Amino acid sequence: MDNTRYDSDKIKKIVKERTTDESAKSALEITLKKGIETVWDRLEKQQPQCGFGELGECCNRCTMGPCRIDPFEDGPERGVCGADADLIVARNFLDDLAVGAAAHSDHGREVVETLYETAAGKAQGYNITDTEKLNTIAAELGIETNKRDKNKIAKDVALALLEEFGTIKNSIQFVERAPEQTKKIWKTAGIYPRSVDREIVEAMHRIHMGVGADYVNILLHGLRTSLSDGWGGSMMATEASDILFGTPEIKETQANMGVLKEDMVNVILHGHNPILSEMVVVAAEDPEMKKLAEKTGAKGINLAGMCCTGNELLMRKGIPVAGNMLNQELILATGAVEVMIIDYQCIFPSIAQTAACFHSKVVSTSEKSKVPGAVHLEFHPETAFETAKQIIKMAIENFPYRNPDRVKIPEKPMKMMAGFSVEAIVKALGGTPKPLVDAIAAGKIRGAVGIVGCNNPKIKHDYGHIQLAKELIKKDILVVETGCAAIASGKEGLLLPKAAELAGDGLKEVCKSLGIPPVLHMGSCVDCSRILVLGAALGKALGVGIDQLPMAGAAPEWYSQKAVSIGSYFVASGVFTVLGIPPKIFGSSNVINLVTQGLENVVGATFAVEPDPVAAANLISDHIEKKRKNLGI
Amino acid sequence: MKTVFVNVEKCIGCRHCEIACAKEHSNNKDLLSILNDDPQPQPGISVGLGIDFMKFPNRCRHCDPAPCQQICPTGAIYRDEESGSVIVKETSCISCGMCAMVCPFSAITFHRTPAVNTLISYKCDDCIERRKDGREPACAEACKTGALIFGNINEIISSKKQDIVMEITKDIKGIEPSEVPENIRIFQSIKEKLAQLGPMPSSN
Repeated sequence: MDNTRYDSDKIKKIVKERTTDESAKSALEITLKKGIETVWDRLEKQQPQCGFGELGECCNRCTMGPCRIDPFEDGPERGVCGADADLIVARNFLDDLAVGAAAHSDHGREVVETLYETAAGKAQGYNITDTEKLNTIAAELGIETNKRDKNKIAKDVALALLEEFGTIKNSIQFVERAPEQTKKIWKTAGIYPRSVDREIVEAMHRIHMGVGADYVNILLHGLRTSLSDGWGGSMMATEASDILFGTPEIKETQANMGVLKEDMVNVILHGHNPILSEMVVVAAEDPEMKKLAEKTGAKGINLAGMCCTGNELLMRKGIPVAGNMLNQELILATGAVEVMIIDYQCIFPSIAQTAACFHSKVVSTSEKSKVPGAVHLEFHPETAFETAKQIIKMAIENFPYRNPDRVKIPEKPMKMMAGFSVEAIVKALGGTPKPLVDAIAAGKIRGAVGIVGCNNPKIKHDYGHIQLAKELIKKDILVVETGCAAIASGKEGLLLPKAAELAGDGLKEVCKSLGIPPVLHMGSCVDCSRILVLGAALGKALGVGIDQLPMAGAAPEWYSQKAVSIGSYFVASGVFTVLGIPPKIFGSSNVINLVTQGLENVVGATFAVEPDPVAAANLISDHIEKKRKNLGI
Repeated sequence: MKTVFVNVEKCIGCRHCEIACAKEHSNNKDLLSILNDDPQPQPGISVGLGIDFMKFPNRCRHCDPAPCQQICPTGAIYRDEESGSVIVKETSCISCGMCAMVCPFSAITFHRTPAVNTLISYKCDDCIERRKDGREPACAEACKTGALIFGNINEIISSKKQDIVMEITKDIKGIEPSEVPENIRIFQSIKEKLAQLGPMPSSN
């Protein structure tokens, strides 16, 4: 039965306001017509949202509260404990940041644990795929590689990495990858990260009542915590995944909701962690499974990624990606998804309710991420292949229950190029970053910008990402992307070499000579660590700290605490970062001044807030030109 | 004349007023026991979203003459002599809906109450019970930003009048008006831009 709330003209108008993703529009129309609730409807129902929370002036930590500060300065100026707006805002910010750092780092720990189990021969179906990277990391960690079995090396590497989470040596090994100048800044500021878990635990300690009242001190610890994520937890996630599943190489694949196949069993892999999904890829290739699929009348098994699990798979295996965060409900509304496999992070808690409107099943796989209404098939490395097969079988058996009358798959998937790990970029440049450094020095490329982060229904789906990327490449600024941002560009066709036509003359020339797109897909959100490694490599090549590089970051549509951590480690590493959604800090002028100005003197970079992509591109371009001038290039 | 005055620029959409009102009109006037109430108490004030993420707390303005009172065929809507508030006598309401149709603020909805088990005219009662005890209405008491102020309207206006004189003269002198702190003004301008880039109502 149709929902009579909107007529078809109104539905067209709403769809246009909500998304720029052409492939998502028909499914979004279906949700509106049929009254299937989506994130946009829930945003509407939440209006108006509380200003105390938006401004970061609400403190709900203890039972003397909850407290709030009057932003207009006539009402209460302090919480019951005595905390003022500066302190409450700073504690809230640190809280969000620590949650984000924990999310990335806990993901990282699981990958490293799987590496250990693999090396110990206990993980079913896993192998050490990239021995070159294994040896590189082993050398960094001081582990002997000469004439040793790869599993023995991997075991030592995994143990050494696991130790980094709680190390008592007061520093994290991968931090040493930063240029000396950058490390000196961290030492001077007192924000050199000591261990991954320690900084997060200390952050939790510091937001307790009565542990300091100095907002600056609290926020500086936030920067330290973020560094333990970017150069620690996230970087370990990236590197351990590369060792296990292979360091990404440049490859072609496809993006948007049109990657679903009408005549095949469609399985969506949604979440962030590649461990199980890599095994699902193997299971889907299993002849027994293929045969079973054919027996039910399907032409085969079609895997498609979603969010960062999708990014991990497309970077390494070229699996097509169906969309980013705001596509997750819409992909179900195509009526053509047999199973959506979820691991964790950014999965709407209501996703099983959405699936229940169709024949689709949601399968949760992580012990820490159970969802009511989902089938729970828990993943463990020692039984990974069996679990993966079981899920694929469930998808095949669900195929006959698909209602063909309700299936609406958008037509054309967009081609895209992905796989731009730092190693792949250097390889494309001929084995050294020098050509990139030369192009930057010569001014053909003015600088590089990392566009990262999420979707947020408050801004039209993908609009912020796409417009900012287009504006920047027009100005001859090379764009590197991860997460939802990269998927947005993929769907828009910006990840194709021919998109160089949209770039300025200098960037166009470089892209054409190398056959690469002007926007490079560097991976998932933990792979923002690859952007740090790229920055470190450029800094070392030019003999400067990262803060002196013509480089910037942007998160035009961010929503998550993970983005708070990413933005903070960008800034702490010396990368000027523009946020498209205001962070919850505007209740304190002092905190705003610190993060948008004061940090310049501490870490050589600041945050800026600018939702408008054109204005954001101008801020970034001005910053890059200033840095170029300072470098004398 | 005493009223709840709305300083719309100070409403940040926290909806404390809605909760405080529902709590005041619940059986035990206690937040924790509200969930056990049947029917659930309804707030007589509602905060809505306008353009550019601006908010407005809307409630019965207790007009005089009140269109709802004038049109009510059964005399269910009357004016309380002492407070001047417009009140619904629940047992006389025949749910014809005329009051809601003529209300200039759309401040009347229809709900069950503990006294009457049909959907009847329901609106803000100006907290006349609290006011008898010399207390201000629950919504104004709950508002921490000064968006809702209870008092004599002429006194409130005269203080606002003085504020406006200050603002205008400051403006002429080129001094930034100080009514809204700078950090909040920056925040509002960012939200305004955001509204223009997304699905929420905007000025553009």
